[in-house]
Amino acid sequence: MRKYLYIFKSNLMTNLQYIGNITIGFITYFVVIFIFANLWKYIYSDQSKLINGYSMEQMIWYVILTEILWYATSGRKLCNKISDDVKSGNIAYNLNKPYNYIGYALFSHMGEAILRGFLYTIAGVVIGLFLLGPIENFDLIALPFIILSSILATVINVILVICIGLTSFWVEDSGPFYWIYSKLILVFGTMFPIEYFKGIIEVILKYSPVYVTTYGPAKLLVDFSYQSVINIFLAQLIYLFIAVLISLLIYRKGVRQINVNGG
Amino acid sequence: MNVIEVKNLSKTFKVKIKEKGLKGSLKSIFKQKYKTIDAVKDISFEVEKGEIIAFIGPNGAGKSTTIKMLTGILYADEGSIEVLKINPTKERKRLAYEIGTVFGQKEQLWMHLTPYDNFKFFSAIYDIPEQVAEKRIEKLKILFELNDFIDTPVRNLSLGQRIRCEIVASLIHEPKVLFLDEPTIGLDPVVKENIRTLIKRMNKELKTTIFLTSHDVGDIEKLCKRVIIINHGRIVLDDSMENLKYHYLNKKIIEVKMKEKVNLDDEEGITILKDKGYNLKIEVDTQYKNVADVIKLLDPDKIIDINISNIPLENIISAIYKNEDK
Repeated sequence: MRKYLYIFKSNLMTNLQYIGNITIGFITYFVVIFIFANLWKYIYSDQSKLINGYSMEQMIWYVILTEILWYATSGRKLCNKISDDVKSGNIAYNLNKPYNYIGYALFSHMGEAILRGFLYTIAGVVIGLFLLGPIENFDLIALPFIILSSILATVINVILVICIGLTSFWVEDSGPFYWIYSKLILVFGTMFPIEYFKGIIEVILKYSPVYVTTYGPAKLLVDFSYQSVINIFLAQLIYLFIAVLISLLIYRKGVRQINVNGG
Repeated sequence: MNVIEVKNLSKTFKVKIKEKGLKGSLKSIFKQKYKTIDAVKDISFEVEKGEIIAFIGPNGAGKSTTIKMLTGILYADEGSIEVLKINPTKERKRLAYEIGTVFGQKEQLWMHLTPYDNFKFFSAIYDIPEQVAEKRIEKLKILFELNDFIDTPVRNLSLGQRIRCEIVASLIHEPKVLFLDEPTIGLDPVVKENIRTLIKRMNKELKTTIFLTSHDVGDIEKLCKRVIIINHGRIVLDDSMENLKYHYLNKKIIEVKMKEKVNLDDEEGITILKDKGYNLKIEVDTQYKNVADVIKLLDPDKIIDINISNIPLENIISAIYKNEDK
């Protein structure tokens, strides 16, 4: 495990050199939050009203956290990197190192994701307090659960994106798969809580990556309960196990196809 | 004791082929055609502990494919490989702890970290305890003269400094065999010389077996005692450098400055390479004529200056490549 922590640390150290670049992304983050804040203020004309069990403040804080998770994961960059590694044959150079490539890719990307998540959290809290003030009935006891759930959400998301990137072993471009996945997460995961969808879609979303990668941590932030903690952590652990398993299977199957250019 | 044993190793690649033009592109959507390339064909060799061996050949000869099979990056189709009695295909991770690799065209260092942080990273990757790692870094820092830039981010280092760090990173776990794939590519002559000296020193002090591929004849000449030449996937020569240099082509170059003109046309075993009147450059095939006879032919009393040298190694190697191509 020490080696993976070092991989994490090394990428964290690398990204510390790019704090300036990361903070430039705050601009789009602020714009998104500003748009959603105004959208929800318009929808909640009566601001004391609840829609699908959520108040206006809860809805905006929900989006603040899901967008933090979205920006922290930075999935497109990861997917492109994995895909390029596969297509260029660079992935092969990891084979004669004493670590697992999936572990390497995960911990390496988490080094960046944690830093981005931390910086975006500061930005999110500032804009949230500025627009709405503190979250109503927020109990500090919820904080460690929210942090842990957010980390698990990002880990699961990163592994799923790695799986998508690894499809490059068989397809020319994994971009379209990532596009579909990211839009599903963006539309169904970051903008609205699952309770906003009815019938079969709500059921599907409860079993989809949306539940564990965005909804879970945001739900704990805006509507904390120990029952939610149990449900969300259980789902995240099951998803984590399955995601790791799938990624290892794809990798093992794909790596046999490696053709590295000779010289 | 052999550290590398390769028997009847073969590897083929399936390469997609497409007919030319738009028609070909459309056709390839429905029917994909492949051709098989024999990258390595039935090669066998052994490498002894502590040897520095050159594994050379023209582009596309199968060198890097062989190195990649030896290091577990590629699977062999046929034949057997044992590196330190380990099968690279079956026990890739175990082998990783015993070997080091430097691919000159593929950096393994983290560009934004310092060499020191990189070495610490590689120590962790190879499960080396902190204190041991510190000692090794200190030792390698002195051996490879890294003191001036060990705390400078890798991205700010010159290519020569970076290659030195790449080699150190691959030595941090004290591998028994080091695979160097074109380690001096792109370096200027002074830095090349410096890297060669350091590699030689490393081989002497750490007793590391070195398996080197390079297109640079200087690397081979200065570092290696044995050379394996591969062409079209087959081994065409496996001999000592001495034999290669002095016996393989049996040729000498004689450059003379004469008092008066001499005519050596139609002399068996002599090829005139340059004739500028009083200055001659001739190639002597010692299988047909020895050097003393040539000097007699020139008449020693008429020689102002003479220089006898071996055929440059580069020419010998090129001749072997060309011969094989025919």
